[in-house]
Amino acid sequence: MATDEARSADARAIDRPGADVKEPIDWGRVAYNVGFGVVLLFFTILFLYPLVWLFFASVKPGSEVFSGNLLPSVWRWDNYPRLMDQQPVLQWAWNSTLVTVLASVTVTITSALVAFAFAYFRFPFRGVVFGIVLASMMLPGAVTMIPNYLIWDFLGFNNTLVPLWAGNLFASPFYIFMLRQFFLGLPRELFDAARVDGANYLRMWWSVAVPLTRAALIVVFIFELKVAWTDLVRPLIFLRDIATFTLPRGLKAIIDNPSIGGEKHFELLAVGGILITVPMIIVFFLGQRYFIEGIATTGSTGR
Amino acid sequence: MTRWSRLVPVLAIVMLVLAACGPSGESQSAAASEPDGSQPAGSEPAASGSGGEGTGGMNASGELFAYGFGYETGDIIAKTRVDVFNEQYPDVDITFSESGFEDQGFLTALASGDAPDVVNLPRNKIGTYIARGVLQPLTDCMDQAGLDPNVFYEGARNQVTVDGEMYALPEFYNTRVWIINNAAFEDAGLDPESVDWSDWDSIAQANEALVKNDGGLTRIGIDPKLPEFLSMWVRALGGQVISDDGMESLLDTPEVAQAVEFGKSLIEANGGINEFTDFRNTWDFFGANNQVAADQIGAWPMEQWYLNVLAENSPDAEITVKPFVDQEGNTTTLQDGNSWAITADTDNPDAACAFITTMVAKDTWVAAAQARADQREADGLPNTGVYTANSEADDVIFNDIVDLSDYPSLQEAVQVVLEGQDTAFGFPPSPAGAEFQQALTDAVNRVLSGEADVQQALSDADAEAQDAIDAAAR
Amino acid sequence: MTTVVQGKEVRSVGGVPWTPNTRRETLWALVFLSPWIIGLIIFTAGPMLWSLYLSFTDYDPLRPDITFIGLDNYVAMLGDRRVATSLFNTAFYTVFHVPLSMAIALFLALILNRVGGKMAGFFRTAFYLPNVTPAVAVGTLFLLLLNGSNGLVNQGLALIGIDGPSWLVDPTWIKPGIILMSLWTVGNTVIIYFAALRNVPTELYEAARIDGAGAWNQFRNITLPMISGALFFTLVINTIASLQMFSEVYTIFFGQQQGQSAGAGEAALFYVIYLFRNAFEFFKMGYASALAWVLFLVIMVITVIQVRGSRRFVYYEGE
Repeated sequence: MATDEARSADARAIDRPGADVKEPIDWGRVAYNVGFGVVLLFFTILFLYPLVWLFFASVKPGSEVFSGNLLPSVWRWDNYPRLMDQQPVLQWAWNSTLVTVLASVTVTITSALVAFAFAYFRFPFRGVVFGIVLASMMLPGAVTMIPNYLIWDFLGFNNTLVPLWAGNLFASPFYIFMLRQFFLGLPRELFDAARVDGANYLRMWWSVAVPLTRAALIVVFIFELKVAWTDLVRPLIFLRDIATFTLPRGLKAIIDNPSIGGEKHFELLAVGGILITVPMIIVFFLGQRYFIEGIATTGSTGR
Repeated sequence: MTRWSRLVPVLAIVMLVLAACGPSGESQSAAASEPDGSQPAGSEPAASGSGGEGTGGMNASGELFAYGFGYETGDIIAKTRVDVFNEQYPDVDITFSESGFEDQGFLTALASGDAPDVVNLPRNKIGTYIARGVLQPLTDCMDQAGLDPNVFYEGARNQVTVDGEMYALPEFYNTRVWIINNAAFEDAGLDPESVDWSDWDSIAQANEALVKNDGGLTRIGIDPKLPEFLSMWVRALGGQVISDDGMESLLDTPEVAQAVEFGKSLIEANGGINEFTDFRNTWDFFGANNQVAADQIGAWPMEQWYLNVLAENSPDAEITVKPFVDQEGNTTTLQDGNSWAITADTDNPDAACAFITTMVAKDTWVAAAQARADQREADGLPNTGVYTANSEADDVIFNDIVDLSDYPSLQEAVQVVLEGQDTAFGFPPSPAGAEFQQALTDAVNRVLSGEADVQQALSDADAEAQDAIDAAAR
Repeated sequence: MTTVVQGKEVRSVGGVPWTPNTRRETLWALVFLSPWIIGLIIFTAGPMLWSLYLSFTDYDPLRPDITFIGLDNYVAMLGDRRVATSLFNTAFYTVFHVPLSMAIALFLALILNRVGGKMAGFFRTAFYLPNVTPAVAVGTLFLLLLNGSNGLVNQGLALIGIDGPSWLVDPTWIKPGIILMSLWTVGNTVIIYFAALRNVPTELYEAARIDGAGAWNQFRNITLPMISGALFFTLVINTIASLQMFSEVYTIFFGQQQGQSAGAGEAALFYVIYLFRNAFEFFKMGYASALAWVLFLVIMVITVIQVRGSRRFVYYEGE
């Protein structure tokens, strides 16, 4: 449980490579490490197995998807081209990518601006205004759905990708709250020093606050990547033409295939599930380096 | 984050200010429809010509948007019919939502002021929309197209008719039949032919003989399919769950109570609802190792399209098909399916009418059925046809296109299905159909799980359903 | 109200002394806040107000007429059996899900924090991956995993001699099953804690070790206070999210797909699901708006209590 122990163990290993070998075997520590490994493995399996199952379901013949066996009797890699022949999957993937990138970039920048204002500036009724941020976060999304739909329709963006991301131009309460916590963790003196150097507030935000919270910003970015990528409700409401669909919306269309006669292809559904999930896995793997590095950087320079 | 107590008044003030500046609902929706009015619909060459080179009998052109239907994502039956329409009416530019009907999606589409022109929706849901004036009566359209309402099966017609006017054209026609797993019956020492399906004691006995428990449930005897098919069991007793006009809940009647009790007793004999449902959820329902092939069920009432699934995935598993009958022995089956309707606000009623009448016309269905027959033949699979709500189309399809002479048991099964079609009944056009179904489903589930006794559950449900109908019928 | 600043009497506005400096900061704050303010007015406050108004009407989106019916919707809620049921279900879920997910996420974050070497990235990703799985897929997966007959969960329980319950059918076990499913996606919370743990200065631990503090004491006196901000944040967020649980449960128990159980009925009826059904299946938008506003008020009260209660425990370096 103790993080310090872990770190000191790592540190020792780095400082004195090979030194451990000569020490007498500490059975308590061995048991601890084995136990630790078992727990780690247990949770890893717990989290990964269902996804592994989904993958194998996507290369099974249709009749085996719900069978008890994990592995297919025949590997049907052609399920993938089959789905792509049937549906404009590449177009959906492009739409999803566009929406996701725009949504994540805009919400990260604007939320950081707003969060900084709450963390740094002293202005009248700050607590109350921030209370409104919290309050707006608590509003069940279903309540504002229809009015929001009418607004985007009024603006003429119905059946385009715009409503899927443009709302993010106006920051998000969730991220404002989150980033404010991070900004509050920064010592005020850093900013006062920048002010003494003559930086205006926007510059100060950009050159002092943003770099110091890069890790938190990347967290927001990745969170929003996931939210925008998996969002189904908005595409469901705003998109009607198949060419404008995002991947989840497309998957829903496959689920809702109005064919009669039980011609549901669950293996193709699994293909869709894999196609949606894999890009996120890749992004997370790639982003992780910056993610962790960013957190580490903040950890050392922010204090 | 200080002075939380001030939050509420401040919120209130913010809102009052906003209320003063904000547009009212009316002006908002009026404004919302404005951009749409100026959109391409009008700029297309309007209905001026003779309908181009098309062969369609009506004068139709311009743009159409269809909600609740898929062309790109549709099967051969969907594609062929749309192709037929496009050939007949080349001047009509039709686009599809490509997704199945959802109340929510349809609602938002309607609310946008850019309403779909035509909609494909389940007949069970149609009463809700008729009561709200969302759909157009189709008498004029059918006159124009020369479509005789009597070509549709009566059961389907009743589902879409309010005050003598039809509001939708029935599309598919799904009826229920008993599907009997011969292997299970043999195993239990029963003859599939000898069970009297009009005698509920006989059904209960067969159930007990068929159920197989091997440390856990390994074969369900007879699945009553509750709550989904409750109305059919109630019919078998001569009762109804709701009045024919859909305005009066009959959930608190003795027939309903008796049907629920009977269904519960069948499930109890299989070990109770928990084990029963869990086991059922493990079936490879659409696969080669389905519950019949795997000998996991004795018999159950099922939609007729499932015969296709069986024929395709487990052609070696032998089944017997029997009509669902009431206690007098008369066939009585529940039917449902989709239908095509025109929205009240469409700006292209002529094209909408041309489209929906073409989609359910005899020749269109025959073309689609032929296309599927060709496809099946190429794949070396039996073709069991398409069950449409258009009886004239069915006549052609099952007399001229479907040829099952190589598959005697399937042929027999199809015959049983066809025999039940004329007397099938459907859920009436109730203004609160969804709430009624919720009340019915919850009541049955409460009884099956033992949370409430039959009387209590049904009287609660009856009160809820009636309140909902009364409120919706305003 | 007046305060004394640098020997001068200054008017105090909104809890802040109104000096030229304050005026400048306020103006700048407005610039920084402007994206949110615009969004709040157009996409939150406006629609909220609209729905508050609707809650006092019998609004049906498909009917032209709206009648003002005062508090009728709120009164009707009192007599609606499903409101009580869904409130109970939602409360039950929240009371178990929130503490459990926080405890498990903290445990996992501590594990992650300890993992070094090349495999660290792999494990971090493994823990987070369930979160990138779309809700529809999560629901479908657990429909299979939680099956009472031969689902993976009960297969696992059988290994240790437990005869697993009917997670998807038995009204007693449906909610525990949903809680189990919800714990599969604790990845978000894990990442937040993990980031917070990484931000705890190592010097603090070094100093504590010099003082001879043991592992537990270090955890209790350094780790917990230093990540209290993150703990508080997730407490609030997870509570709000739990009270609005929708997608996965809707997929499993209220979907219309063939082959699924006909619905667990009322045991899985969560508040927002009932709200959604009223609004979009029964078209009782007025009633649904009343349901939404009650939920909003409930969430607000709970959050205020949490914020007040947390003041004693949460530590901010900046304030």
